[in-house]
Amino acid sequence: MFKKILIIEDDKFLRELMSKKLLSMGYDVVSAADGESGLVMIKESKPDVVLLDLILPGINGFEVLEMAKKDPETANVPIVILSNLGQGEDIEKGLKLGAKDFLVKAHFTPQEIINKLKIILD
Amino acid sequence: MYEEKANFKEGTDETFRRVRGALLNVLEDTDEARKEAVNEKNKTMAIVENLTDGILLLNNKNVVEIISHPVVDFFKKDEKDIVGQDIRELLKGEDFKALRELLMSEEDKNIKIVHKQEVSVAKNMDLELTTVFLSKEGEVLIIFHDITGDKLVEKMKTEFVSIAAHQLRTPLSAIKWTLRMVLDGDVGELEDDQKELLEKTYISNERMISLINDLLNISRIEEGKFLYRQEPGQLEDVVKAIVEGSQELLKMKKMKLSVDIPKEKLPDLNIDKEKVGIAVQNLLENAVKYTPEGGSIHISLEKIGREIIFKIKDTGVGIPGSDHKRIFTKFFRGDNIIKMETEGSGLGLYTTKNIIEAHQGKIWFESKEGEGTTFYFSIPIDIDRLV
Repeated sequence: MFKKILIIEDDKFLRELMSKKLLSMGYDVVSAADGESGLVMIKESKPDVVLLDLILPGINGFEVLEMAKKDPETANVPIVILSNLGQGEDIEKGLKLGAKDFLVKAHFTPQEIINKLKIILD
Repeated sequence: MYEEKANFKEGTDETFRRVRGALLNVLEDTDEARKEAVNEKNKTMAIVENLTDGILLLNNKNVVEIISHPVVDFFKKDEKDIVGQDIRELLKGEDFKALRELLMSEEDKNIKIVHKQEVSVAKNMDLELTTVFLSKEGEVLIIFHDITGDKLVEKMKTEFVSIAAHQLRTPLSAIKWTLRMVLDGDVGELEDDQKELLEKTYISNERMISLINDLLNISRIEEGKFLYRQEPGQLEDVVKAIVEGSQELLKMKKMKLSVDIPKEKLPDLNIDKEKVGIAVQNLLENAVKYTPEGGSIHISLEKIGREIIFKIKDTGVGIPGSDHKRIFTKFFRGDNIIKMETEGSGLGLYTTKNIIEAHQGKIWFESKEGEGTTFYFSIPIDIDRLV
């Protein structure tokens, strides 16, 4: 069974790059370009892990995270924050709200991100 | 007999005339002096009334004698309700808590010596306070300097840097990811010379990402928010981790690294492990960068008194005497090392110094051009709070 990964990322290029890499590694990929649709997709497509950006149009990543964790239907879906913010307080906030990890996009290659996901998926 | 009386009368009149004249002179002088004093006072009051800083002059009984206009706005009282009041009465209440704590000593509630201390007294009011003790009689001048505007500009600058850093990271991530995928063969195999070219581009891009991190750190330092979380921890662990992570780099340059850590466990230090790690890493990277191939680096940790001292010694090119004074300044890079290693933001030591000093530690070095450099930093064992 292929593991399903949901990418919530508003930058089209990054979203497509990440999807391409994940698909090539044998994962099932779904994606959303903003917070609201991302939240809906967590519920509907039931991914095995979510890659969540923080700066999003409409509601931001922290709000998506908070709401997903509040909803009993989606509370157990592991969420990994993938953002270019990365100050101590952002990381702490994300982890406190229930993110499994916080990765700064500029510091990790797609392969390194997938390696981190593997740890969570297993 | 009549002549004697007449002479005596003349003598007395003369005396009276002279005394009268002297008294009139004294009166005149006194009147002049009085007029001058009034003029001086008027001058002083004119100056004080037109000052933009808040000034309070207290007499030796802590009673307000003179104020400047901004003080009226600050206390939200009329001048007549401030002048003549005891400052300790005026500072009562929750609103003035921060000010009270800064100005008044706990034991005897007298005014403390304060020099340019910043205090936030309300949501939109930041002040810089100074007290000046005027004479042996105990008169005190309290100066309130409004820095609210300055603080706001500082805040806007650092917010701008944070946003800019984030915005810059986005396209750089795109370049990083794309290059990595092409180099890893995800979109087809590359010829060797294509690979080499793109590898260099990748490295260049990584440098930009690293520079943005450095700039972000600098802006955080200047915001005063650089140390994020301090917890008791082992400096030894931080050093070991950084050394571990540098093995590749050392191997590439065929360098020897020896580490000397005392057998007895060092006491825990109250440190922000991530930031201290950055400090150690900067020092180690410099040692590697500025030492020619085959050189050696020695690191040691030692407890001396109530401090832990970190020492890193290299056999590198050394720092010329003329550069010693500027070594910790922002963007400074010595001429001798720019020639050997064109990379480098010049922010490493500035950042490192700030990290160490935020831990109430000290950083210093010894260096001789052509022989090598030794950097030291100390961190006190009893740090009570973040600076």
